[in-house]
Amino acid sequence: MSMLGQDKREESITLSGRESGRLASPDVRDEFGLETLDMNMGPQHPAMHGLLRLILELDGETVVRCDPVMGYLHRCQEKIAENRMYPAVIPLTDRLDYFANMHNEHGYVLAVEDLLDVEIPPRAEYIRVLMCELMRLASHIPSLGFLMLELGAFTPILYCFRERERIQTIFEAVTGARMMFHYIRIGGVKADLPPDIPQKIWDYLEGLEQRFQSDFVDLIQGNEIFISRTRGVGTMSQEKALEMGLTGPPLRCTGVDFDIRRDYPYSIYPELEFDVITDQAGDVEASYRVRIAEALQSIRLIKQCLEKMPEGEVMGDLGRRLRPAEGDGFGRVESPRGEFSVHVVSDGSDTPYRVHYRDPSFCNMQLLQEVIPGHYLPDIMPIMGLIDPVSGGWDK
Amino acid sequence: MAVTLPEGNLQSRLKSYLDGFNNQHGLEESAVENNVVRLVVPPEIVPAVLTMAREALGVLHLAFITVVDRQGSFELTYELLDLRGGIVRVKTTIEGEEPVIDTVTNIYPTANWHEREAYDMFGVAFKGHPDLRRTYMWQDHFDHHPLLKSFEISTRRTFEGLR
Repeated sequence: MSMLGQDKREESITLSGRESGRLASPDVRDEFGLETLDMNMGPQHPAMHGLLRLILELDGETVVRCDPVMGYLHRCQEKIAENRMYPAVIPLTDRLDYFANMHNEHGYVLAVEDLLDVEIPPRAEYIRVLMCELMRLASHIPSLGFLMLELGAFTPILYCFRERERIQTIFEAVTGARMMFHYIRIGGVKADLPPDIPQKIWDYLEGLEQRFQSDFVDLIQGNEIFISRTRGVGTMSQEKALEMGLTGPPLRCTGVDFDIRRDYPYSIYPELEFDVITDQAGDVEASYRVRIAEALQSIRLIKQCLEKMPEGEVMGDLGRRLRPAEGDGFGRVESPRGEFSVHVVSDGSDTPYRVHYRDPSFCNMQLLQEVIPGHYLPDIMPIMGLIDPVSGGWDK
Repeated sequence: MAVTLPEGNLQSRLKSYLDGFNNQHGLEESAVENNVVRLVVPPEIVPAVLTMAREALGVLHLAFITVVDRQGSFELTYELLDLRGGIVRVKTTIEGEEPVIDTVTNIYPTANWHEREAYDMFGVAFKGHPDLRRTYMWQDHFDHHPLLKSFEISTRRTFEGLR
């Protein structure tokens, strides 16, 4: 490395990083002799989604600066993955975004299959999509409950977790686990559905559709307090949302029509019918409406999966010790929070050379720095509900 | 305000993308395959290529930046999506143990945290980045970059005995 390069490097780190990345605000007073107040929100805060510390600079009750500090749950999953064989990384991906475990597994498995170029039995593809859509229901419905809990309403989360509990019971019967499934494998899925499960899912969906309007729409949508706390809060334009790299409901609630399932199709999504839900307002209330409508679309997808599911094998024959050829594999799925991408680099051995996760929680949280300044302190929690981040996701 | 997403046939659009790239920049390698444009470029022109992708070709979304430690050099992959099925995948290699590359935060503001993460995990410095801090690791008294291959973990196992 030349001297010039060294200087450039030092300059770029010291000048831009250490000074602008201040953890405390400078002592600046306005014309009345008043200064802003620094406040730490978290890392342990009863309303916070997991372990996140927000450094806030307050002018009265208005937030002037919001600086998220991450890393309290960092396990360096990418480093651990480099030291394990390909199939042994799948249980780790369950621990990433623990409200979208199936999607994480699916994304990683797609990336490895991209390297291997294997044939997946059609029944396995249908089971994967069925499980992913059930997972989306089990993530979107509680996220409404979390949003309401942050606004001070305790009742909705009980209804939401009742639904999640029932979906988890289905997962337990299929995979043997309630959260950390390790169900989607390279080449297929672990096991076929138990014979009575399709009927159980049909029964559950029938009940959910009856309860949906009364428990999640009528209870929340017209509520005056809910509207006054969420309408116009966290508003952002489409340009801003795209600049910040948002995906998923936070992007779609501004009106940008983008869904990985439709625009970058994977698995059997091209064969299924569903609508991409958008809303124009781009605030917290819009994100709530998008999630409600997406949950209904998930029900539609689950029904199609159950109707169309073919008979047959669920696992391709791959052998035990996988050695993909050198190269890059990419997997990209639409998780409940947005685009979940995996980039796997292989060097021809039986362990990945590099695994990179693009987690939607991590990317969507850039919104905090941009959108929160100018809002009141109590608006922070509804805006967190707009993103609905998961600690295991942003901290990898 | 509404954003207009690119229109038109995907294949033809991608072909014209590639022509545009070829005419304006000294690329090392380029190919179109199944809606994916692969570009291998020298590190100096990465901001120029990304500017072109965003301004001229309407590729609006930077999905992620992957850094791979090739022990002696660093390989960076910029994955860009046009939100309508097209992917532009820009690869570059930085030589040396202490890598520096120009930031792309002025082109894709979302690169802010991706570059911070790359700096945290690999020590890749992004020149001109507005806020180059660590994302995950401790701010002070920690001089390591954990995803470097030289950073050994204690439970490293080999699988030589397994069949």
